[in-house]
This record gives sequence, C-alpha cells and structure tokens, in this order.
Amino acid sequence: MSENKKARPVKLNVIELPKTDYTGGPSSLCPGCGHDQISNVIIQACWENGIEPHRIAKMSGIGCSSKTPAYFLGQSHGFNTVHGRMPSVTTGANMVNKNLVYLGVSGDGDTASIGIGQFIHAIRRNLNMVYIIENNGVYGLTKGQYSATVEKGSRKRKGSANEQPPIDLCKLAINLGCGFVARSFSGAKKQLTALLKAGLSHKGIAIIDVISPCVTFSNNDESYRSYGYVKDHEEELHGVDYIHHFEPIAEVDIPEGEFEDVKLFDGSTLRLETIDQTYDYTDPTAALAALHHAEIEKKHITGLLHHNTEMPTADEDQGLIDIALCDLPEDLMRPSKEKHSEMMAKFRM
Amino acid sequence: MDAVINDFTLNIATANGTGSQSANLILLHSMFEMGVPVSGKNLFPSNISGLPTWYIIRVSDQGYQAPGDRTHFQIVMNKDTWFKDVEGAEPGTIILYNEDVKMPVDRDDCLVFGMPMTKMARSISPKMAKMIANMYYVGALQYLLGIDQDALERAVNRQFKGKASAVESNLKAIEEGRLFAEENIDWDQPYTLESREKIEGQFLVDGNEAVALGSIYGGINMLSWYPITPSSSIAEGIIQWLPELRNTEDGDATCAVVQAEDELAAAGMVVGAGWAGGRGMTCTSGPGISLMSEFVGLAYFAEIPGVIWDVNRVGPSTGLPTRTQQGDLNLLREASHGDTDHIVLIPGTVEECFEFGWRAFDYAERFQTLIFGFSDLDLGMNNWLCSGFEYPSEPMDRGKVIRTKEQMDAVENYGRYRDVDGDGIPYRTLPGSGLDPILYRGTGHDEDGIYSEDPVVYRELMKRLKRKSDNARDILPAPILREEKEQEVGIIYMGSMENTIQEIDDIIEETGIKVSQCRVRALPLHSEIEAFVERHEKVIVLEINRDGQLYGVLRKELPIHLVPKVISVAYSDGLPPRARFYAERIMRSLKEASE
Repeated sequence: MSENKKARPVKLNVIELPKTDYTGGPSSLCPGCGHDQISNVIIQACWENGIEPHRIAKMSGIGCSSKTPAYFLGQSHGFNTVHGRMPSVTTGANMVNKNLVYLGVSGDGDTASIGIGQFIHAIRRNLNMVYIIENNGVYGLTKGQYSATVEKGSRKRKGSANEQPPIDLCKLAINLGCGFVARSFSGAKKQLTALLKAGLSHKGIAIIDVISPCVTFSNNDESYRSYGYVKDHEEELHGVDYIHHFEPIAEVDIPEGEFEDVKLFDGSTLRLETIDQTYDYTDPTAALAALHHAEIEKKHITGLLHHNTEMPTADEDQGLIDIALCDLPEDLMRPSKEKHSEMMAKFRM
Repeated sequence: MDAVINDFTLNIATANGTGSQSANLILLHSMFEMGVPVSGKNLFPSNISGLPTWYIIRVSDQGYQAPGDRTHFQIVMNKDTWFKDVEGAEPGTIILYNEDVKMPVDRDDCLVFGMPMTKMARSISPKMAKMIANMYYVGALQYLLGIDQDALERAVNRQFKGKASAVESNLKAIEEGRLFAEENIDWDQPYTLESREKIEGQFLVDGNEAVALGSIYGGINMLSWYPITPSSSIAEGIIQWLPELRNTEDGDATCAVVQAEDELAAAGMVVGAGWAGGRGMTCTSGPGISLMSEFVGLAYFAEIPGVIWDVNRVGPSTGLPTRTQQGDLNLLREASHGDTDHIVLIPGTVEECFEFGWRAFDYAERFQTLIFGFSDLDLGMNNWLCSGFEYPSEPMDRGKVIRTKEQMDAVENYGRYRDVDGDGIPYRTLPGSGLDPILYRGTGHDEDGIYSEDPVVYRELMKRLKRKSDNARDILPAPILREEKEQEVGIIYMGSMENTIQEIDDIIEETGIKVSQCRVRALPLHSEIEAFVERHEKVIVLEINRDGQLYGVLRKELPIHLVPKVISVAYSDGLPPRARFYAERIMRSLKEASE
C-alpha cells in the first residue's frame, strides 16, 4: 500500500457515531444468505437514521432469521425468544419501556405458521415496532421443509413441488388494518434501506416482508423465491427514497419524473417515485388488488404497499405515565399507607 | 331438645343463573353481620345458565370452614336435581322446597316444608319472579334460624349496593317468606343462630381478590391475561382496583393491562416485561400453565423475572373446570422441558394470598426467575373470613440490577451470567441502558451470555441455577408449624387445606392420637420441613389430588432414611375437602402403616 495514502476520516452519522457502532458479530449463516444482506441494511438504516444503538431493542423468534440479531447492533440489548412468539415478548417489553425502538426480525416459519396468531394480534394492537420478515419460503435450520408462504407450484432443490397455496403476509397485514406494509427483496439494497428507514420513522407497527432467497435449499430456478427468479419477476411499484427529518428536503436530489412524498411520524419523508402507474398507497384495496394480480402473474411487487398513520399504538391505548414503567420510583409502584387504610375501610364497611 | 347453637350446615340447591347467588350471599353476610363464624362454598357448573348449582353454608362457632359432614338444612329449588337432592338427604334433615316446581318430596323421615315461592314472588314482580323466588327461602330461614333483622338489612343493602328499588323488593320478599314460615311452619327443631361479638375489622373476601390487591402492592407494571376459570377474577380484581390504588394524581396509569390472544402470549408478555426491567404478571389455571410452559423454561434458563399465578381447577385436560384440586403442583415445580425447579409460593389463607401477591415480585427480581403463585378454586373463588391485609412490611427488593455506569464499575468482572457474589445470582443490566448489552437467548450461553455448546459451560450453568434455587429455600416463606409435645403423628399439608386441617386434627384427636401440623408454604422445601419429619414418629402428607404430588416432592428431597415414615394420603373428587372424610383416611393409613 502506498505510504502516502492518508487515512480516510471515519464517516460519522448525525449523532457522530461511526457505522462500526452499529455492527455485530460474524454471521454463522450459509455464505451468500440473503439474510446477511438484510442485516447489513439494518446496520446501514439504523446508522443513517442516527438512532442511538442502546435505544434499540432487537427482538427475534427462532430460525435462521432469528439468529441474525447476533450479527448486527452489538451495542443494543436483544432477545432471541421462542419460535413464533417474538411479538408477545416485544409487547411485554414495550408496555414497561415504551421509549425503546423495537426492531423485530422474524422468518416465514416463525410468522406465517407457529406465530401467525401473535403476528395478527401485534398488528391488531398496533404495537409500536418494526417487524421484518426474512421470507425465504423454507425452514432452513431444519433443512429445507416448505413454509406456509411458498407459492403453489414452487419447487425447491430436492423433493416434490409445493401443492398448497401461500399465505401472503402483506395481504394479511393490510386486511388487519396495519398502517405500514411494505415488501422488498434482500437483493434490493437501496429500496430496502429506504423502506426500513421509513419503517423506523413510522409510529405503530411497520411490517416489511423481505423476500430473501435460501441459497442452500431453494435457490434453483423452479423456486419462485430464488435469487434469479425474483430478479427477473420483481416489479417495483415505485422507486423509493428516504429523506431524514434532519435533512432539508431541498438538499435531496429530486428524482426525475413525478413523485409523491409520504410524511412519516418523526417528520421524515418517504419519497415515492412513480414508475408506470399511479399507485394509491393510502387505499388498502389498491394494495390488495396489486398483490392479487401479482400472484396470478407469478410476480413479486415491491415497495410501500400501504400506509396510514391515523391509529393509536398499543402503548398509547394504555394511558401510561410519561416515564417508562421500568424506571418508576417505588412510591408510584405501591399505594401509600393512607390509601391502604382507605381501601381496608371499604372492605370493613 | 337441647339447642344446637351456631353449629350446622345448609345446602341450597338451585339452577345456575337464576339469581340464587344473591340470596345465598345475603344469607352468608347476614350471619357474618351477626358475628357468627360462617363460610360459604359455591359448587357451580361450567355454564352460564341452567345447570345445577349448590351453595353450602357452614355455621360453626369452632370456626370450622370446610363443608360439614352432614347437611342439616336442604333447600330444594332445582327440578333437575330434585330427586337427587331429596333422596340424598339424611334422615332428620330439614327440607325446605319450592312448591311451585310441582315435584314430589316423599320423605317421612325428614321434616319437610313447602312454600309457593314463585307464586308469591310473582305478586312482587311478575317479570323477576324467578329471581325473587330465592328470597323466600332467605325469609323462611330468617324465621327458622333467628337471623337478626338489622344484620339482614345490612346484607341486602350490601348485595344490591344500596340500589333502593332492588333493596326494597327483595326485603319485601324476604319478609313475606318469613311471615309465611311463621304462620305455616310448626318449628320445634334445635338449630338456632346466636349473635356473637363481631371481631373488629373482620370481613369476607375471596382469595383471588386478595391476590389482585397483593399484586398491586407488589408494584405490578404489566398484567397480561387470558380468561380462564377460576383465575379470571384475579385479573378483573387488578383492573378494578388499579385506577384507585395505582393511578397518579393526574390519572396516568402505572400498570399496563393486556388481554392476550392466548396463554402463550400472556406468558411471553410477562417474559418481555421482566426482560425490560418491569414487573410483569399473568394469572391462569392448569390448561394455561401447560401452554405457558415453553416460556417458563425460557425465563428459567435466561433468568428473567416474572410472576404467574395458577388457580388450580380439576384436571387433567379440561377436567372439571369449576371444581377444586391441588393437582398442578408437579406441573409448576418442574414446568417446561429439561431440568427445571421453579419457586412455588403456596398461600393457605386470604391474608397470605395478599402477602404472597406482593412478595412474589420481590422474589422474582431477587432470584431473577419466574415465580409461581399456587392457589386453587376453593381458596380463590369462595369467601373467607379475613382479619385484614397488612401493609407490606419491607420495601421492594428490585434485585441485582445495574442501572448506572458507577454501579457497573463497582462489579468486578461483570458478566450477565457470572456468579460474582457466589450466591448463584448474577447481576443484570436493562435494555435501553447501554450497559454491557447482550442478546438474551434460550440457547446455551456462557457467563457473558455468548452462545455456547461447551459441555463444561453448560454443566456449570445448570449447577449454578440449582445453587440459586437451593439458596432460596430458607429465604422463602417458612412452614407454619403447630406442634404437640407428643410428636406422634405429624401432618404435612399445603394451601387451602388450611381451612379444614383443624377440624381434621380435632376428629383424629378424639381417638386419642395427638397430631402436629406443618403447612408447606413454598417450594423448594424449607429446611424446617425436614426437621419436622425427623421429630415425628409418623408423618402424613395430606393433599387434594390422586397421586400425592407433595408427597412425591418430599420423597425426592428428603434424606432417604426419613422416607419410610412418610405416608401419603391423597384424595380428590372435585369437592372441597370434608374433614371427617380425610380424617378417616388418615386413620386408616396410620393403622395400615403400623400393621
């Protein structure tokens, strides 16, 4: 190496932290796994959004996807819980500490089968979290059984084709009234980063279903979730760009053609560039129609499918005191002796 | 005939959902208002309306609270159980029945009185006749037993929360019932009530409400629950009392309440709350514990505090969902797969339901584990005499939580799972603190929380967890001992059996055998229990289940030389324990053991 080359200054984010403050341990997933690309996007998005790492809580269930919190955000507490039950653990944590940024990572086995009930109820409650599904259509850790999201007729490397129709988690989420539903592809780094940053800026549950090919069990051409298939059959609803609330909009490159700005809770903006049609992301029926047609045409549509900010979150519904419940002083956790006497008097009336 | 004062049992047979519960509670509270020691037990079906219900009131100056050995008054209102109720009465029973049901009562060997209860009720309110009819047996019993009018009116007001129209119409029905009885019943029976000085400050309350209040005093931050009989009223009690007892002056909540989608989620929320540094709790019954078991194992292994109350109903499976049992002890003690040994708190009185309600959270955070509260339907859903709930005697114990950098620096060689103090309990930091964050996991982990499958690491971790629970033994509530100096026979028992044990003891002592009592109040077993066994010649382990689950715990934990003198007496049929029944089984077992 050239001795003259100056050490490049380390790039810092808005809270002056280097990206290395957002990285984790080395991955033990198969080389080339789409999940690792998602982990990199998580690191990138959290760093770019300038979230203090300690304020993030990494939550996961069980499976390949759920192992990944070990590979990003090493300065954040995390919880690798039990299969399919990440949402309930996140709910309990959110109730006693509503000030953390909850980032859940789950898989399609986790979310569409064993944990589908918890997925549904987390949406029903509008739990304030980002819920990423690393969706590969197979159970990886148990060596390649089909999951419930895999398309009918899809075929993995070995064995027979899947004969059952898929559960489309985005459709399900939209039907449940979820306020932020997006689909992306682990290979679409720019789009996924923008969507994840937008999800982190959204108040309430943000569902991001990421098609993430399994390089070991279903990266063959007959699989509708292989890298090659998705690359060839992915249709972007819109180009996406994310503008931080701390960046003046004027400084951001205005994309060519038409665009529409989605205002997010923290003042940030998700800029949707129109590609070939006017897609109304505020209309849930438009999203459902688009997903339906894509399924018939064996295509994957990606982008922000649906957005609606008009819902209180699970913790807001509780009418809680401002301070996080885990930090309450004892006098707010135990009735006073005076109150105790009043209570006992009621019994003795 | 000598008067029989304050010593008899009433059995009231009605159909569920006909308003009889109001009449029965009015009877119970009237007697209580007279200062008479009473207990009421509701034997109800798993049904909202129509199936048979029996309410048993035991009146006993000796303070016996179990259903008595025989019924002195049988009230017959329900046509579906009519024949069984009438035929089941022992000779000499006083049978009071509703003539309007138009069913026969052919018992020449009993004293039989009929009353046109529904017809009379119709004159007060045609629409409500079916409900009000129950007040006529209250009126008749007022005459027969001599229930004080003031006491009765207080009870009626309490029951209808002072609602004038309801109080008036029901009091009228009671009065008509009393007058009818005065005119038509030629009463020469010895049973009578006599007022006693009401013990200052005593009231009636059920165990579930006591647990609810205890939890509120224990600083509960998050209640997650899924409805299941007989535990739902714990959650409902917490919800009812929270605004008054725990909201801030501005009306802000300090405890979140989430009705979960199932018991799995309820347990997950408890684990999440504990992980984040709050005090989370759920309440359930056996079927719920089965579903929660996976999370229970996670909490045990990842060392997350939390509280789960099990109000035992009859298993296995759906079992007898509205009947009582002590059949979940094994389930709680070793819940989840792999080696576990959970701390179980076992209250025997409503006062202890309150005390263990708040202490459970302190133990959970102190030992960084899941704590089970173990109650049952009998204790949880029936009304018991209570002398009051004592304000917590100690400040909260939040355990070894590191909240600041200074605290962290003071711990030498910190690791989330490193036993730096040698007591088996490591330190922990909370999410959001930025202090030594780890990824919590249910997989094998080393002292720093890093994934590990190393055999030595695993073995050392499991040994430390055992050390932690061993060290908890003598910190948990000690057994309650009532010992005779003879130390012939000791009875070890737990939970709601407390309400029957003295009567059992008295029955056995009538035969000349002296009985000591030892009530287990927590698992793992306190060291005093071993000493109690050591001191006594024979030890009976008495419990309400089929296989002797507490006996099994003792067999497993006692030194081998003590095991031969421990005898199991376990019996369960869904009903609350009847003293003579259990006493006879104990005597039979003692006899067999000495042969």
